[in-house]
Amino acid sequence: MKDDPIARVLDDLLKLEDILACMVARRNMISVMPSGEGFKPEVNQIWDNIHRAMDDVFGVISAYSQIGLGEMEFRLQDYEVLFYVFPDTENALVAIVPTLANKGLLEVEMENARREILKIMNPEKKTENVVSR
Amino acid sequence: MQEFEQIPKPLMDQPTSTLQDVSKKKEVAVLPDVEAAVGMSRKWDAREAGRDVAENTIRQLKTPPDFFLLFSTIHYEKYGGFQEFLNGVWDVIPKETPLLGGTVTGFMNNYGCFSRGASALAVSYPYMDVAVGVGKNTKRNPNRAAKQCAEMIQKGLKESLYKNKFLLTFISGPVMPSIPGVGQKKYIRSGFISKFAMQALGLSQALVQKGLAREDEIFEETVKQLPDYEMILGTSMDDHRGMKNYQFLNNQILTNAVVNLGLATDLDLGVCTTHGMKETNRNFTITQLGAKNHAICKINHKPAVPELLRLLNWPEGFLTEETLIHTLLYYPISLRRRGREVPIVMPLIMKDSIFVPCIIDDGDVSILTVSGKDLINAVKENLHNFDGIQPEFGLFSTCMTILQTLGRKTNIVQEELCNYFKDKSFLLFYSAGEGTYSLRKNITYANMSFNTAIFGHQKK
Repeated sequence: MKDDPIARVLDDLLKLEDILACMVARRNMISVMPSGEGFKPEVNQIWDNIHRAMDDVFGVISAYSQIGLGEMEFRLQDYEVLFYVFPDTENALVAIVPTLANKGLLEVEMENARREILKIMNPEKKTENVVSR
Repeated sequence: MQEFEQIPKPLMDQPTSTLQDVSKKKEVAVLPDVEAAVGMSRKWDAREAGRDVAENTIRQLKTPPDFFLLFSTIHYEKYGGFQEFLNGVWDVIPKETPLLGGTVTGFMNNYGCFSRGASALAVSYPYMDVAVGVGKNTKRNPNRAAKQCAEMIQKGLKESLYKNKFLLTFISGPVMPSIPGVGQKKYIRSGFISKFAMQALGLSQALVQKGLAREDEIFEETVKQLPDYEMILGTSMDDHRGMKNYQFLNNQILTNAVVNLGLATDLDLGVCTTHGMKETNRNFTITQLGAKNHAICKINHKPAVPELLRLLNWPEGFLTEETLIHTLLYYPISLRRRGREVPIVMPLIMKDSIFVPCIIDDGDVSILTVSGKDLINAVKENLHNFDGIQPEFGLFSTCMTILQTLGRKTNIVQEELCNYFKDKSFLLFYSAGEGTYSLRKNITYANMSFNTAIFGHQKK
């Protein structure tokens, strides 16, 4: 897992204070998680509920990603879950953030992460500017 | 556009004995190249990031930079600290390079849009003189800080023969004082705490320099001191929380300071502010101000907040810490200051009073509105003002609320800028109080605005 370049992108996201958890996932399956110590502890108390809700959202994503569904989000108690869908797939970059987080700033880095992951997944395909780290 | 009407003189007439090294100029026989490079780093470790951003920038230049602008997000505070970050930069860039900058909410450049990392703009050009200035204790005594800083620029450029003058004034942004039992909230419901907070804010401002940035006052004084400069104003900030911010000047890390970069050059240059805010048909009159004209206490002779809610047809109790971000920021208001229009957002509510980030006058006010599309159109409108210029490089200060509002769609703005600049370098930083000044347009200070300074050559 440590050498997985996608996990390294997730590691970077998780270092942001308001990203409590992040992963690349699809329905019933978390494909890639950060390589470090996993999610931040405060997510644990609500993880089971969030996980169940996430699976339902992935049902919608798999139904509509082919016709351009790009992002989704839902709020559960004091948390928001953001889904950045990889175009034409049933996979999404998912992040759990506190409700009162500065979401605009996080969105910018989520989008950069999505682009980086796309570049890793499709190295031959030209994606938007991504700066090497 | 007025700013570009200064047609450059033929090359032979250009001054040669200025602050620049004369030998550097003698090598230039034809119209010299402006070398401008933008670099960035996404590394986490402060020292490594400093080195990385400097290397990525400098390696694009053939000659040493005449100045180095450096902006970073607040993250390096926890990953080695800003002194280490600057040390990393100085491991790479030539000694004596004027360096200026500070922490910002995010930045945009030729590579993308980022709310984490560091970016720099370095420029090398033979026909340009450079000076830097600093003024301290901006929150306690803004006028004195502005004067100190402007004097350094005046002194540094007094022998320059170039007529086109530019100033970047970068000021420590607001820091929210923490109120006991409340913390750093943007909406205080309790009347008692609001009353206490209003008084505490004044004390905090003077004693510990936590409070409003007072960038509007510094900007006004700077304009008074240096009226023949085209100026762009930006403020230093953290990640939108308003807890701390730092300014960089050469190898120093500063707080509560104003740092200025002054340029005198033969390059054509211009500044412009656009904001995209539109008037609604809702107006009111400010009938009572407070907190040294920073708080709107009464509008239409009634307590300000309930009356504002009535005018907006919003139910009582609608505003909360959360809805404030999602609603009120989209309804800025157009205030007046010394006859100028000042569109601002309402960032802080204390019971029935609305706190504003700058000194305002009472009188008639329009409620404005703005959408994401309006903000993007404001960028197009701004760049349209520079159609007559062949850009060499550009610098932008933009409201952090725009970054917060547009989120990932900020990339649309980046695409607009890339289309305009093509392979030329640009750097945009997000701040918390911005504006421009030119002799022709006077001061334009506005929240939610795009502020541009473009350097280049008039198209023939």
